[in-house]
Amino acid sequence: MANWVLKGLRTGIRTTSYPAGPDDAPGISPGRPIGTSLSSTTAVDQLVRNCPTQAIAPDGSGIAIDQRRCIHCFRCQRGVDEPPIWQQGFEWAAYVDDQAPRKLAAIFGRSLHIRFVDAGACGACMSEARQINNPYYNMHRLGFFITPTPRNADVLLVAGPVSDAMRLPLSKTYEALPTPKRVVAIGACAASGGVFGPSFAASAGIADVIPVDVVVPGCPPPPLAILHGLLLVVERKPPSNVFSRASGGSKESP
Amino acid sequence: MAVLYRIHDDTSDLASFLELCRVHWRGVVVASADEADNTCRIDCGTERLRDICQWLTDDLGFAFATLVAEQAPKNWLLIYAFYKDAKSPLVRVELKLDAALSVAPSVVDLLHGPSFDWHEREVEDLFGLHFEGHPRLGEFVLHEDWLEGINPMRRDFDANKRFEPRTTEPKWEPPTIVTAPGAFAMPIGPVFSDFAESAHFLLETVGEDVVRTIPRFFYKYRGVEKIAEGQPPDRALLLAERFSGTAAFAHGLAFCQAIEAICGIKPPPRALALRAVLAELERLRSHAAAITGICNSTALAVATSQAALIEERLLRLTCEITGHRYLFGAVVPGGVICNPSQTDCRHLTAAVGEITHELRRLLQMLRYSSSFLDRLEEVGVVTEDQALSYGLVGPIARASGVARDIRKVLPYAVYGSTDFSVPVEREGDGYARLRVLFAEAAQSAGIINKVLSSLPDGAICSDELQLRAGAALSAVEAPLGAAFHWVRLDNGGNVSRYRVTPPSFTNWHGFHLAAENFAFQDFPIILASFGLSNAECDR
Amino acid sequence: MSVAAQLILIFFLLCAAGAVLPFASPQRWQPIVLAVIASLAALILLIASAALLASGARFHATLWRVLALGTLTLDADPLSAFFIFVTGLVFLPVSIFSGAYLTKYLAHHDLRYFSALYHVLIASIVLVLIAGDVISFLVAWEVMSIASYLLVNYEFERTESSRAGYVMLAMSEGGTIAVAIAFIMIAGASGALDFAALRANAPAVAESLRWAIFLLSFFGFAVKAGLVPLNSWLPLAHPVAPTNISALLSAVIVNLGVYGIVRVNLDLAPTTAAAPGLIVLVIGSISALIGILYATTQGEMKRLLAHSTIENMGIIAAGIGAAMVFIATDHQVAGAIALIAALYHLANHSVYKALLFLGVGAVEAGTGTRELDRLGGIIRGMPWTSAFFLVGVLSIAALPPFNGFVSEWLTLQTILRSAILSSTSIKIVFAICGALLALTAGLAVTCFVKVFAAGFLGMSRSSAAAEAREAHVGIRTSLGLLAALCVVLGVLPTYVIPAIDRAVMPLAHESAASALIPPFFTANAQQPQKLPPAFLAEFHDIGAQVGRKFLPGRGLVVLHRGEERNPVVFAMSTSYMFVVLAAILGLIFVAFRMPTLSRTLARRSAWDGGLRHLLPGLTYTATGFSNPVRVIFAALVTPAASEESTKAVAVHFRTAIKREYSEVHIIDRFLLQPPISALRDLAQFARRMHVGHVNAYAAYVLLAMLIVLVVGVGLF
Repeated sequence: MANWVLKGLRTGIRTTSYPAGPDDAPGISPGRPIGTSLSSTTAVDQLVRNCPTQAIAPDGSGIAIDQRRCIHCFRCQRGVDEPPIWQQGFEWAAYVDDQAPRKLAAIFGRSLHIRFVDAGACGACMSEARQINNPYYNMHRLGFFITPTPRNADVLLVAGPVSDAMRLPLSKTYEALPTPKRVVAIGACAASGGVFGPSFAASAGIADVIPVDVVVPGCPPPPLAILHGLLLVVERKPPSNVFSRASGGSKESP
Repeated sequence: MAVLYRIHDDTSDLASFLELCRVHWRGVVVASADEADNTCRIDCGTERLRDICQWLTDDLGFAFATLVAEQAPKNWLLIYAFYKDAKSPLVRVELKLDAALSVAPSVVDLLHGPSFDWHEREVEDLFGLHFEGHPRLGEFVLHEDWLEGINPMRRDFDANKRFEPRTTEPKWEPPTIVTAPGAFAMPIGPVFSDFAESAHFLLETVGEDVVRTIPRFFYKYRGVEKIAEGQPPDRALLLAERFSGTAAFAHGLAFCQAIEAICGIKPPPRALALRAVLAELERLRSHAAAITGICNSTALAVATSQAALIEERLLRLTCEITGHRYLFGAVVPGGVICNPSQTDCRHLTAAVGEITHELRRLLQMLRYSSSFLDRLEEVGVVTEDQALSYGLVGPIARASGVARDIRKVLPYAVYGSTDFSVPVEREGDGYARLRVLFAEAAQSAGIINKVLSSLPDGAICSDELQLRAGAALSAVEAPLGAAFHWVRLDNGGNVSRYRVTPPSFTNWHGFHLAAENFAFQDFPIILASFGLSNAECDR
Repeated sequence: MSVAAQLILIFFLLCAAGAVLPFASPQRWQPIVLAVIASLAALILLIASAALLASGARFHATLWRVLALGTLTLDADPLSAFFIFVTGLVFLPVSIFSGAYLTKYLAHHDLRYFSALYHVLIASIVLVLIAGDVISFLVAWEVMSIASYLLVNYEFERTESSRAGYVMLAMSEGGTIAVAIAFIMIAGASGALDFAALRANAPAVAESLRWAIFLLSFFGFAVKAGLVPLNSWLPLAHPVAPTNISALLSAVIVNLGVYGIVRVNLDLAPTTAAAPGLIVLVIGSISALIGILYATTQGEMKRLLAHSTIENMGIIAAGIGAAMVFIATDHQVAGAIALIAALYHLANHSVYKALLFLGVGAVEAGTGTRELDRLGGIIRGMPWTSAFFLVGVLSIAALPPFNGFVSEWLTLQTILRSAILSSTSIKIVFAICGALLALTAGLAVTCFVKVFAAGFLGMSRSSAAAEAREAHVGIRTSLGLLAALCVVLGVLPTYVIPAIDRAVMPLAHESAASALIPPFFTANAQQPQKLPPAFLAEFHDIGAQVGRKFLPGRGLVVLHRGEERNPVVFAMSTSYMFVVLAAILGLIFVAFRMPTLSRTLARRSAWDGGLRHLLPGLTYTATGFSNPVRVIFAALVTPAASEESTKAVAVHFRTAIKREYSEVHIIDRFLLQPPISALRDLAQFARRMHVGHVNAYAAYVLLAMLIVLVVGVGLF
């Protein structure tokens, strides 16, 4: 066992400085398109047409992007005349209802216990959620813990569009959480159904089944975006918003 | 009959296999060859299906790949695909059934019957096509709240219509079969563990020892095959990539290869080489994740952290090279999207080299951790016979002595011309699976280096893609094993049938073999050593 | 004639009436008649024995002369009085219980014989306890054995009943013969048959004879007490007996075995060496462990309780063994404490075992089954029964402040007192036995957690359990009575111990009361020698004198005082513990529940992983819960598992896996089966000689004559 301890010590500290400081290591986030002013309506039309999930909508002289629908297919980037601005970073999480959040932090203090539910996620969201436990992101230092039973949980972290067979387990899990409780939906599928829903076998996101408080867009959202979502629940970071307007990601919501 | 021909059995190329087939089944079935696909097609009736399947699997040593059911206006088409090795052709046994009949013979009682089992159950559940002689048809993909008699894969079912659940509370009884004093079933899931995919396991036990495990899947059934229908290939590609996000590139690649086969185009050499590089990068990441899972299941904290560091490093590397941590959108019909620069390639080579070194160090340390080995050795054993009869694929099969790898058997991209080996272990236990994962990761790193060292220049995407009607079966070795994608395009160039047989579907079927007569605390380890994906299985 | 003597006379008259009256009353009145008469008899018994015990007086009556065998006498010393009191404690609730319970037999059994035998049984038990000479003791013993056999075998038409009854009777008679021989040996040494004479002549018994007397009497009585290796009849007899008889069997009749051991080996012919005591200690400890091991793996409640009786008898025997060693090595006070511990445990065991057996009877009446794997969740249908049963479970699991805790704790503490012994080898034996008893105590918790959790909590595993109905008020009364006794015996040890001390004093020749119960309440300036002021002050500070103003007695703390260097050997007070526990529970309620009383609590079903519905088949069974114990102790229990699978199609689809476990009790396997099978083999061999031809038999006769002739010639 001693050699393992040694190995661990020799590896040193790898943990990110976020949320205390910034993190811009290469490869931590794929980035995302944001609302952009464009030069022509043909460019707008092309982008709107190219988007497979109707995340892009015309907005004044440019486009607005509904981040809940964006699935990172890069079709607004590759092979188009005028691509929208591609924004790096990862602070993507937003409150669903801007009026509600004020009382969240007071109830939970700084620590959260989290129960994860896979409601039909593709595995990428789950993999990213699992990464917040790895030494790079280490959620425990922020007071976030995963619990095996919803009975001890404050927050339900849900990924996936909610497949039919998962509707009941998801709502039962939500019921089993003691109040007050919060739901964080991670990924485009959880936010809008993504490429799968709504259809005969899947809903159009978590909100179809249980109330959602915080949404983390992305396909999948990188680990730091998920951490940002959890930090929003305890109000330790300001929110982003789910619609990014043509002016380039303004903070006001529609 | 078969014995007579045994000595002459020559399946080594398409022509000789065709000859063999014609001699053996003279006047009974029609066999034809498709040179372009290296495929032999056998048309047969219901009465000969069992014999042919038996002949192919038991006598000639073919493995069952996939069963594709298609509903044409007047009849049912069932396609049983078989593969064997690099020299033998792909064999497609096609069975036409009258539309009104809806009954096909089951082949599950053959020696290799188990490999057909889940396919038949799935077709029965989704198409309402009955397989006569199958002992356990019924609720499989669609759970108990799905109305009886409604089959979503039928042509007349509207994929966009929201599902109406039963109004009455459906009945569900645990399908337990163990009778012993005090026997009971321990339910696990569908919501369980820290980060576990939704699936349900019933452990039939008398207390400490688990007698048998009954897994239940398809909690995550999103109807990918159904909602792909009627969509143009570039939209269907999104589904192909996203139904299993951790193997997005492999499945996207398989889908694109099928489209390319239908349309008769060949990607440029640089694209083929890059496909191999990216596929191996994904495999490397997936194997690192599986190793993390195994270390985690044995509660070896430092090793878990080390493996997780490697995994995250690979994710970041992938993002740097392709712009996305899970390779979404990296492959298109005709080629690939991302075109790494010289610098990127050097960076990739260097990083992969370091990661290989770290993996080797990790394995060295794990090998000398007796507490870790104690928990893996002789746990969750799958024997070679079981692996063959269940048609298991990927690292799990290779840990049980079955050296099948699609990259060797049905080479694609540049695997045919790249030198690599397929690691095989014989024990079939958790430790064998772990060793296979490490060895394959090392092979993947080797492939990346070899391919990058002689990366051709030129275009990365063929621009002559003309969609046309047709169907093709494509196969790739996804990180978890062989994946088969069957795509049929209609006259408008839209997908009219998409059938995926992912490795997790094949291998989850064999999970119960490993999860028998074990101590309860070994369950997470057996689960982790299989390292399968429910998203991939359930689709 | 003293009051006690009059009461005992009335008791016997009542028993006689109880034995006769059933034949004069109609069938449907039988249960009530039995309940009334037997309860009255038990009540009188209680008063009489309490009076004897309180006054320390002896009851003595001379009956008549029998031929040349001497005079039959009855003689009740405080030891007898103690056992009679315990008997009464059990008989009263059991009789009340019988009034309600026996109605189930009304339809198809003749209850007249049952009632008559029941009274004969009580009378004979009391006679055993007050017999003053060998003849009356043996006669009463035989009557008791036969009456109990007939009662156990009441439902004789069931095959398992008759087999169990046969084993019980055979073992019992074997024991009686051994006991009779032991008595004859003692009597032979003294020349008389009454106990007083035997007692007087005991020192004259030869050393070699002492060993024989000890072995014969100990193993003879061990049959009744159900000690290993003579325990086979207990788990067989209990399940087949009517529940009230099971309760008597485990709570009264096994006590007679202990009475016999104590009477002979500590009173009539006291052992003078340490070795016999060590044998008793070791046998007791092994009995305790084996008993609880088998109890833990049992799923049938009566059989489980029967194995647990073996365990408790083992603990009692261990205490007696320790007492024998201490007394033989001249540590009278320690011996007295050990005996008090043993007898206290005997009383406690009688009370909670009766409670548990009657509880099982109530459950069986409410659900129709005693299999834990078919029960579950009956607390909803039978809240009262469950609450009383829980008291029994907590007591038998030896959790404070219930009665089982006090006596098990005392027993373990006395075994730790082996430190005062001089011989190292004896100390090692004590240490090993202490470890075995500690393991037993731990397993007992597992075992009874299983009983209560699997049987009373959780989901109902059968429709019968789901529809359980609360027991008859008579049954509940008897359960409540016993549950109250469990609490009283647990919470007030300082009032129980002096009474037992009076019974023990003649045997140990020393009182342990002042050594165990320091006079915290009465200690004052006039008694400085009893408790040093510093000592008193220290204990005063931690509250040992709380209650001295209004409570009688010497205090509420059980505290064994040692010498100067080690003033407190052990100390404990379940009385204060009880008060504090109640206070803590009350405070928790006030602090956490009161503020939220106005809020409506959301009740959610148990977390099931998101399953559609949790089914009883998906929850732990009793067997499953205890299976880890079975696995850990597999070397001892050695369960033989056989598995068979049936296949539907090919090898891949199994439709049924059937597993069966068969296990033979370790004692049967190692000690009883080998001689039995050897005997059988011999009989098989002998059978071969019986060829059935006249010629052959003629040849045998000839051969025999020849041998006799040859031997005869050789000899003379």
